[in-house]
Amino acid sequence: MGSLGGIPLYVLEFGDELVYFSPYTITLFLLALTFTLLAIVSRPERQVDVAFGGDAYTTKIISVDEMRFRRFMAIACGLASMGAMVTGDVFNFTLFTAMVGITNVGIVAAVKSPHVQDAAYQYGLVALSATVPLFGAAALYAAATGSLSMIELAKGTLPAVPLVAKALLVIGVVGEGMAPFYAAKAEMFRAPGAPYVIMCSLSSLLIFLRVAEVVMIG
Amino acid sequence: MIIRRISHYLCRYEHIVPLFAAACAVLFMASVLALPVTYHEDQLYPKAIDRQSPLDPYDRGGPPFTQVSIHAQYPENSPTAGLVTSYLTPFSLFLADTTLHLGTTIVAHPGGIIDEILYNTRGLDTVVETTILLVAFAIASFLYRKVR
Repeated sequence: MGSLGGIPLYVLEFGDELVYFSPYTITLFLLALTFTLLAIVSRPERQVDVAFGGDAYTTKIISVDEMRFRRFMAIACGLASMGAMVTGDVFNFTLFTAMVGITNVGIVAAVKSPHVQDAAYQYGLVALSATVPLFGAAALYAAATGSLSMIELAKGTLPAVPLVAKALLVIGVVGEGMAPFYAAKAEMFRAPGAPYVIMCSLSSLLIFLRVAEVVMIG
Repeated sequence: MIIRRISHYLCRYEHIVPLFAAACAVLFMASVLALPVTYHEDQLYPKAIDRQSPLDPYDRGGPPFTQVSIHAQYPENSPTAGLVTSYLTPFSLFLADTTLHLGTTIVAHPGGIIDEILYNTRGLDTVVETTILLVAFAIASFLYRKVR
């Protein structure tokens, strides 16, 4: 079980879906948990725009409704990230990844700025279309190996996972909010409200770290 | 210099969708070239389809209150798997008894989506799927109310 990122210290059973805590997944889980707690307790930042060449500055005010909704989305994003970090099932991982994608859209779509909403819309299109390769990869995993459990795949007794399934999984995760798309996220970062926007970035990073482990299995 | 050009191209978010679409297209073509992928016969949750059953293709088989054997990955974790094979409301039962087309409408009532295999062996999937729907509806309703 070397390819699982360490020997699972604790396995939680949900029927056929095992949730396992290995040193690697515990670390990622704790990171997601910490940031979720921070998003719960912290108040949103207030962006200050300073006009060059003068003393004028403006503070952007975030309405309570918007703040509440974005906090809800940030918490949902944190929970989805935590689930994606510890799940031991490929299909379950793709589901959590899809949930991270949609909550990321929700965090930024709540902002009242046409520019930010444009970016959120484009990102939403990508997240939507990325579900095709994402779930297609899970289907290929099941068809080629007969199992979806990462612990079974890591044992090496099942047939090897086709490379194309791994590639589809990776591009699906990319679409749900990963490194090459940080350029688009930078547009979203113009949205005020620091802890919630950082949650988008952190969840993408965590999912990237986890998918690196998943594609090395099987 | 080339990196600057690439990042300049990527900095416009309108370019992200065509870029991703192109990447997907290339990968799908590579997937077609990589065919055939060998199908592993020993699958979890095998399903026999009876075209004559009014519940087709959702008929799990087996009389009520007897346990149908289900090939699970970890049978010790789901001791009750296969005990419940259908949840039909009286109206669904009437439809199933009189027509052959309940299978096409089965997602419209309880017992379709949350079927027993999902419920007993892959319950966490069902929870996450419905949570995704909840989040999507929450976003849509928030945006709708904001626009009004």
